[in-house]
Amino acid sequence: MFPRQRRSVIAGSALLLATALGLTGCSAGGSGGGGGGGEFDPEAPVTLNFTWWGNDDRADRYNRLIESFNEEYPNITINGTFTDFPSYWEKRQTEAAGGGLPDVWQFSDTYLRQYGESGLLADLGELEDQIDLSTFSEGLLATGQLEGQQLSLPTGYSAWAVFQNDDLLTQAGVEPYEGGTDYEEYSEWMASVTEASGGAVYGGTDYTQRIQNFELVLRQQGGNLFTEDGQLAFDEDDLREFWERGDADRNGVVAPQNRLEEVVPLSGFDSKFTASEMSWSNFLAAYSSTTAASHITMVPPPTTDPDAKDLYRQGGLQMAISADTEHPEAAALFLDYVVNSPEAGEIFGTSLGFPASTSKLEGATLEGVDAQVAEYLESVEDRLGDAPPVPVVGYGALEQTFWDLGKSIGLGAVSVDDAVTQFFDEASATLG
Amino acid sequence: MTASPAIRPDAVAAPDSARGPVARHRPTGPARKRRRGDTLAGYVFLSPWLIGFFALTAGPMLASLYLAFTDYNIFQEPEWIGLGNFERMMEDGRFWQSVQITLVYVLVGTPVKLAAALAVAMLLNFRSRGTGFFRSAFYAPSLIGASVSIAIVWRAMFSTNGPVDGALNIFGIDIGGWVGIPALVLPMMILLAVWQFGAPMVIFLAGLKQIPAELYEAASVDGAGPFRKFRSVTLPMLSPVIFFNLLLEMINAFQVFASAYIIGSGTGGPAGATNFYTVYLYTRAFTNNQLGYASAMAWVLLAAVGVIAFILFRTSRGWVHYTGDSR
Amino acid sequence: MTATATPLIVSPEDERRPSPGARGRRRRATTAVWAIVMVLIAAIVLYPLIWMVLASFKPNEEFGSNQGFFPENPTIDNYLSVLDGVGGVPLSTFFLNSLLLAVGSVIGTVISSSMAAYAFARLEFRGRPLYFTLMIGTLLLPFHVLIIPQYVLFRNLGMIDTFLPILIGKFLATEAFFVFLMVQFIRNLPRELDEAARIDGAGHPRIFLSITLPLIKPALISSSIFAFIWSWNDFLAPLLYLNSPDKYPLPLALRIFNDQTGTSDYGATVAVSVLALLPVLLFFIVFQRFLVEGVATQGLKG
Repeated sequence: MFPRQRRSVIAGSALLLATALGLTGCSAGGSGGGGGGGEFDPEAPVTLNFTWWGNDDRADRYNRLIESFNEEYPNITINGTFTDFPSYWEKRQTEAAGGGLPDVWQFSDTYLRQYGESGLLADLGELEDQIDLSTFSEGLLATGQLEGQQLSLPTGYSAWAVFQNDDLLTQAGVEPYEGGTDYEEYSEWMASVTEASGGAVYGGTDYTQRIQNFELVLRQQGGNLFTEDGQLAFDEDDLREFWERGDADRNGVVAPQNRLEEVVPLSGFDSKFTASEMSWSNFLAAYSSTTAASHITMVPPPTTDPDAKDLYRQGGLQMAISADTEHPEAAALFLDYVVNSPEAGEIFGTSLGFPASTSKLEGATLEGVDAQVAEYLESVEDRLGDAPPVPVVGYGALEQTFWDLGKSIGLGAVSVDDAVTQFFDEASATLG
Repeated sequence: MTASPAIRPDAVAAPDSARGPVARHRPTGPARKRRRGDTLAGYVFLSPWLIGFFALTAGPMLASLYLAFTDYNIFQEPEWIGLGNFERMMEDGRFWQSVQITLVYVLVGTPVKLAAALAVAMLLNFRSRGTGFFRSAFYAPSLIGASVSIAIVWRAMFSTNGPVDGALNIFGIDIGGWVGIPALVLPMMILLAVWQFGAPMVIFLAGLKQIPAELYEAASVDGAGPFRKFRSVTLPMLSPVIFFNLLLEMINAFQVFASAYIIGSGTGGPAGATNFYTVYLYTRAFTNNQLGYASAMAWVLLAAVGVIAFILFRTSRGWVHYTGDSR
Repeated sequence: MTATATPLIVSPEDERRPSPGARGRRRRATTAVWAIVMVLIAAIVLYPLIWMVLASFKPNEEFGSNQGFFPENPTIDNYLSVLDGVGGVPLSTFFLNSLLLAVGSVIGTVISSSMAAYAFARLEFRGRPLYFTLMIGTLLLPFHVLIIPQYVLFRNLGMIDTFLPILIGKFLATEAFFVFLMVQFIRNLPRELDEAARIDGAGHPRIFLSITLPLIKPALISSSIFAFIWSWNDFLAPLLYLNSPDKYPLPLALRIFNDQTGTSDYGATVAVSVLALLPVLLFFIVFQRFLVEGVATQGLKG
């Protein structure tokens, strides 16, 4: 098995001298039984390690969920641990190399290929006694599938949307953007906001910075970002054309990038610098908190083809079980509880994305921003298409590179042609 | 370093030491000869370090050296590719960009920071009373841990109409916010490093405290002015500490990571302006999972800084004076 | 000579030789200029810090729109949300963990580093130049490439989710910074003292304890300060080696107030930085006093 061999090579060199000094008596390798032989006894006391990224609020909710789970399964002790997102993956990668991945963990589809192709994730399809897959739509199941195996399950989903700060629009005296028009109309609307406010507020943030908007444009033309076999499904010309379509907007319509750099890590929309911004629908709660706007309007993104099924249910936040776990069945029981139980719906609402399973959705009370997100998702039903192919290895890095290059174009630090070259250089280095 | 015989550090230090409880035994001729054969004591005193080095440090270092010659993506077995990583580095534009940014940072930032630290340490040392507040005030910026707060504060300082912009406007300089101008981000990073001059300042202070007052008195008797005293007492007596700070601050500057990572949101932005060597190395290791390439970069840095450190050690024989070593 | 009993001042215009008239006036003028310069530097250096403290009273929604010095709608909510603790673990637990690690680091670092430094600076033995070169070499490798091998090592030693991987290195002088710092200070001590003691029949342990250590007190104090503060602010080692939230030190626990994937609470993030700063600032204020105490006299009398 791959992981174990690799581990011993690194462990060997690291332990070379330690062993020579007789400091280590214990065996190298570290991983336990893997697969857990014998019959599963649902009553046997078991301890599971469970870890997630997220904020303080999420930690409280998980603790409540674990409590509720223990009412049903008092014999399964859950050791819950948490960190912030970047550290989370640094630690997981260290464990992937050195052993010690948690039994159950919050997962992201961005990493599905890396962890899945390396055999680090358990096939949830084999744990059907514990996990109910029938509550998920095909499209959402696909977000956790790789080569016929169900390696992770989404806790919730989002769809791309245009957010608008109603307070800023009222001040400027401009009606909200209606949504779903062609891109030219959206640009004209942004220009009208910028003009009406006299430059105090800009109509929007340069949408060509985000790879998700590029993806939408590709999907409107029947394409995708990636192929099924993990390669890029677009070429230099596609990208050049996309970035060039932002040229006119960058000329005084969207917020100038040099001012946006000053408020990082907040976005233009967060800092009430722009009246609109596109992002995932589950950002509504965050935007409400950072802008404190009295109301935020959500409308569908612009499109080149009103009939195209360009939007999709993005199941970014997932749950997975390590292939190495000694208690796959108990882990599966807990995972099922997180993604499927009405209790999870009640405790989390839409804070892990809009509930992906029907059973979890039943438990959720949708009020306030949650209800608004539900309403939005319903309104774009006709535009929701198939899930795109599983992201390529290193998609997270590529997404970031795309964004950085988009910002660099906005700063005038790089030309569109150079940015295209740099993106493809980076992509070929990442994809190997 | 030319010092008048009267204030040669070792010449004065000897009588100084004679005032202690061991004064009766002023060493003479043979006893002054350095004793050889401290092997047992040497290994006993060094044992914690020896165990630490061989058990904890050497293994991981060797492992990373091995990985430098492999293609290793964390998820698969390392694959030996010889000099492949190093060849790729030569053609990697972002690698060379990071080298350039880091060199400017080291060459400009280190001297400025050390000069500021030494100047402030001397000012603090000027008086004995009423300096506690200032010592703490000057050290306070160095106490802040690496967190997003630093990014929030520093970006605010250099934003359009922020304090720096405002101060420059007074002098008729209007460049607006620094953060949005990629060329000004490196100066901004250097100023952040200089702002956190507390560590070398504390070390300079400790070094200044170690200089016996008698040396200055002797110099005064010789009629030396403040500048002469600085040149012929402070500088030579402080030289081991200056050397330490120079070497360590240089090494730290080459490896600058936390502040650059935070200010650049971990991406080397804006427009690659915070793509420092170790930020790029980290990106390769943990964002792109190219640990082999990252290890190769690490060993290239080790070799480069090692050469510079070697040269510094060599030249130090000419300008660093150790009281305990001089004969 | 008893002059050395007063704090060692290296001021050219020393106050020890009082003289009336012009000299006194000039000294007062110098002091005034000195004070003005110090206040100016302090103002510049402290401005960003004070900005940060005031920002911790800004409500979250002001962070994007108000980069000014004062909050428009001051609030203490940021502190209240932090004081609640994180994920069911009270804030005091994180403080205690941080304190335990920091104190352990100080003790380990000072003992092991001073021993190693004594060996490097004062003892003659085979292999010393090689070991010294190796020690400097450990400073030169960016630590990121050591993360995984080191994790593998500690995992195989069964030390994951304990404080051991974080502390053990401190007791084994693995931070060359401290060893080298003390080497520089010991080498600058007059050797006559050691030799005199040796004639008296003192062995290396005695010389080390009763002559060397007291004389490098400024270096020991600054090392303690650095060891404490660096441990207090250390994030990576606890991240890698600790799993249970009730073992987390402050920086690790508080990261989650700034989760970019959800609702980032910048107000709480800055409040956390201010809270985390206070104990180390207090520590520094207490210990910096020792930095200015005279050394030579104390050492020789001790």
